[in-house]
Amino acid sequence: MTLRFPALLLAAFAGALALSGSALATPAKEAPWLPEAAAYRLTLFLGNLEPLPWDDVEAAWSEPHRNSHFSFGALARLDEDSDVKPDKLMDAITSEDRHAVFTEATRLIALRLEEELDRAIAAEGPATAQRAVREARELYRAFADGIAAADSEASKRIGRAWLELASSAGSPGLLGAGTTPTSTEAMATARAVISDYLADNYLPDTFTTRRTLSALPETAVLSGRSVEVPPSLPPGSDIFDQDPLPLLVLNFEEQGIDETDLPLVAYGDMLFDSAQIFGSPARDIGIACSTCHNRSDVNQRLFIPGASHQPGAIDVDGAFFNPIFNDRRDDPIDIPSLRGLRFTGPYGRDGRFASLRDFSRNVIVNEFAGEEPTPFMLDALVAYMLEFDFLPNAMLTVDGRLTSAAPEGARRGEAIFNRPFAGLSDRSCASCHVPDANFLDRQAHDIGSVAQVYEGARAGALDTPTLLGTVYTAPYFHDGSLPTLAAVVVWFDEAKSLGLTEADRDDLTAYLEAVGAADEPYEAFGSENTAFRLAFSELTTFASTLDTLIPQRDAEHILLLVDTVAADLAADASTMSNLAARPDVYALAKGLEEVGAAVRDEDWVAAEASWSAFKSDANAIDERAF
Amino acid sequence: MATKLNRRVVLAMAGASTVLLAAPLAAQDDTLRLAFIPQENPDKLLGDIEAITGWLSEQIGAPVGGFVTIDHAAAVEALRNGNADISFMGALPFVLAEAEIDAIPLLSEVYRGDPSYTGRVFVRRDAGIQSLADLRGRDIAFADPISESGYLYPLAEFERAGLIDRPEAADAFFGRVFFAGGYQQAMQAMAEGLVAAAGASQYADLLLTPEQQSQVTWIAESDAIPSHVVIARPELDVGLRTRFVDAMMMLNEPEHRDKLRFLYGPDGYVRADPAAYEGVRDLARRYGLLK
Repeated sequence: MTLRFPALLLAAFAGALALSGSALATPAKEAPWLPEAAAYRLTLFLGNLEPLPWDDVEAAWSEPHRNSHFSFGALARLDEDSDVKPDKLMDAITSEDRHAVFTEATRLIALRLEEELDRAIAAEGPATAQRAVREARELYRAFADGIAAADSEASKRIGRAWLELASSAGSPGLLGAGTTPTSTEAMATARAVISDYLADNYLPDTFTTRRTLSALPETAVLSGRSVEVPPSLPPGSDIFDQDPLPLLVLNFEEQGIDETDLPLVAYGDMLFDSAQIFGSPARDIGIACSTCHNRSDVNQRLFIPGASHQPGAIDVDGAFFNPIFNDRRDDPIDIPSLRGLRFTGPYGRDGRFASLRDFSRNVIVNEFAGEEPTPFMLDALVAYMLEFDFLPNAMLTVDGRLTSAAPEGARRGEAIFNRPFAGLSDRSCASCHVPDANFLDRQAHDIGSVAQVYEGARAGALDTPTLLGTVYTAPYFHDGSLPTLAAVVVWFDEAKSLGLTEADRDDLTAYLEAVGAADEPYEAFGSENTAFRLAFSELTTFASTLDTLIPQRDAEHILLLVDTVAADLAADASTMSNLAARPDVYALAKGLEEVGAAVRDEDWVAAEASWSAFKSDANAIDERAF
Repeated sequence: MATKLNRRVVLAMAGASTVLLAAPLAAQDDTLRLAFIPQENPDKLLGDIEAITGWLSEQIGAPVGGFVTIDHAAAVEALRNGNADISFMGALPFVLAEAEIDAIPLLSEVYRGDPSYTGRVFVRRDAGIQSLADLRGRDIAFADPISESGYLYPLAEFERAGLIDRPEAADAFFGRVFFAGGYQQAMQAMAEGLVAAAGASQYADLLLTPEQQSQVTWIAESDAIPSHVVIARPELDVGLRTRFVDAMMMLNEPEHRDKLRFLYGPDGYVRADPAAYEGVRDLARRYGLLK
């Protein structure tokens, strides 16, 4: 087989432990998971949630995971291509026996792995042997992080065994040339290394009952040693940035003020992008404020199994992020946009927080298990977020009326929008979505969009959302249940008996689309104006707050900054178009780490020298940083 | 393409592409037949073929069909016996196909502005390895014994450096030579410290995690390797061949660039220069792959 490289490499990072590990805000795209391995990883992840979503566990095996490269699930694959039977596993799922599910799922993967190793050894030619080895290795991936965490020596030994297996499987050559034979003896020796480990750790007679499900080898659990497997997201997760990337409109920037002259805002900008302010697991998997609210907008692709019911939604008070804050209610909400945040309080879908500062603290400490932020951190975060402006829209006047740029249908819709309806208690749409108040009224209303959670509950009131920018924030309603603005119009017409004709509905939809539009909703990138260029500019701006923090000898906030920015600079370098300049960016990140090292040593002279060197180096590579 | 894959076939394809996925289209004089070699995602490939052949048909003004072969040998065989007119392959399979059936190079893929790329020898930054000579007695992982950038070209750098006098001498120079099964496997083995070096495409470090990328560097780079090439059987009607090339060149235009994703995702195409493959031919002879 020849290797087709460029198309594959441009398609994906393929780190085996991607979406896990270090606290970077730059997630790596994963190589595709085999259905069985994906189902196992999903089972481990879901098995740690409380309450345990058994239907999702069953679906993990019966259906392909979200965005799978395969159109079928693990059970179908086993049925077609394996003698390993999933019956005991499915029985365990049906009986909702968590330990039995772990036991049977682990055995199943180990047996599948053994099955492929058998096939590799028994293969009649290199091509078949290579295929089986690849398949086995992809299954091994389901256990790999557990072994690496518990026993690095074994992990290396097995890693070498995979190399031996792949090499000794031989090569089918190319068009009859370059064929190399299989060495069955060498394969058997290497296979024994893997099989022996599997027998001891993933195919024992019984497994210890585990408080937290993970791929930790059984011998490590039995040893009683405290071993932490780095948190990771399961297959199907998506925490990548939106594409296209929304345009960020910052009030000061539009006025020509440089962020480097606003150190509090710049520090808040850094915090908004920092996973370090959260606790584990959010910090470890690289989730920051900007993961959900990137560019102050909505990350419509964000999805985490067990926490999201659809893309762009997440349950931040479930079991995954902070168990103590788990409300045990499966109630993910559609991520709201933060554009125009200073005009949209109170905060939270039901307006539960009058103060943005209180809301932010709740996000950090309760929702994402972070340590108590300092007053400076909260001041900075709030200062930054208060700069978020709405997207300019030439179809709207500043007091919310349509301009001549709006289409005719939207004008007719404007009249409907302002017309009182009996079904709205003689109010109009504009009564709550007040045009000259950014299309909101800062009040919570129960419009009947929330299912009653118990008899007599009065818990369905939600904060009126703005209509500005909504063309780019679908789906709609707190739970994202309505896919389009047209669907919103239909919902109100039916739920509130507005009596709209089809033409009225179209016009009202046209109006909402005009109000929710923007002149430039997305960032425009080019050959040198790349996403990395934007990231580089942001990260060096964040770092500029050292001009304020170093003279103040503010070690705590300096270290938070350098730990965030140095790691992100190095990680973001992987996205550069100008690959030749990557080493310079790595060196720059190293320079910032040196600032941190000096501050940790309380050597302020060295810290200042490293910071000066960083600024000089950053200037030197600025033109090549794309 | 209306071919329906059953699950077992897809599974095999996803693993190693050893099962014939669809019979070549029945020979029809006026149909241009494209033979695709499977890559990573079988479902996607079939959808891609349907999309691109439909568009090509409109541009060329003739029916265009596509089918998936099991491997390069099957594609070349299809070109030889007239079941396929066009195929897509790497530089090495092309020069072998050229020697075997006089295949003609039509178009070269462009990535990052170039119709070529290189092979590199990668090491960990913290390994203290500065030159190829430092790898004497150390272990190395290559991608595959028939990979241009993942073996042949990087190994040639050791010859150029005077460290080995022929490819067969590699075993004596290195501690162990592994063929890891792909770029990513070779790079992971190096990044994880299982071997001292990896021979792989110049872009292979992008297959590592961002953190790993910052931990590796390269110490040698090969001559340019022509990128993947679109080839034709020699008997293909010259007029049809010209219309096909012209249509493919339209993919470089902004309004059609989105269709490149249906063709293995290059950045574009340039007309192939047969002379650009001379280095590959020489190397293939040195490695005993070509007479």
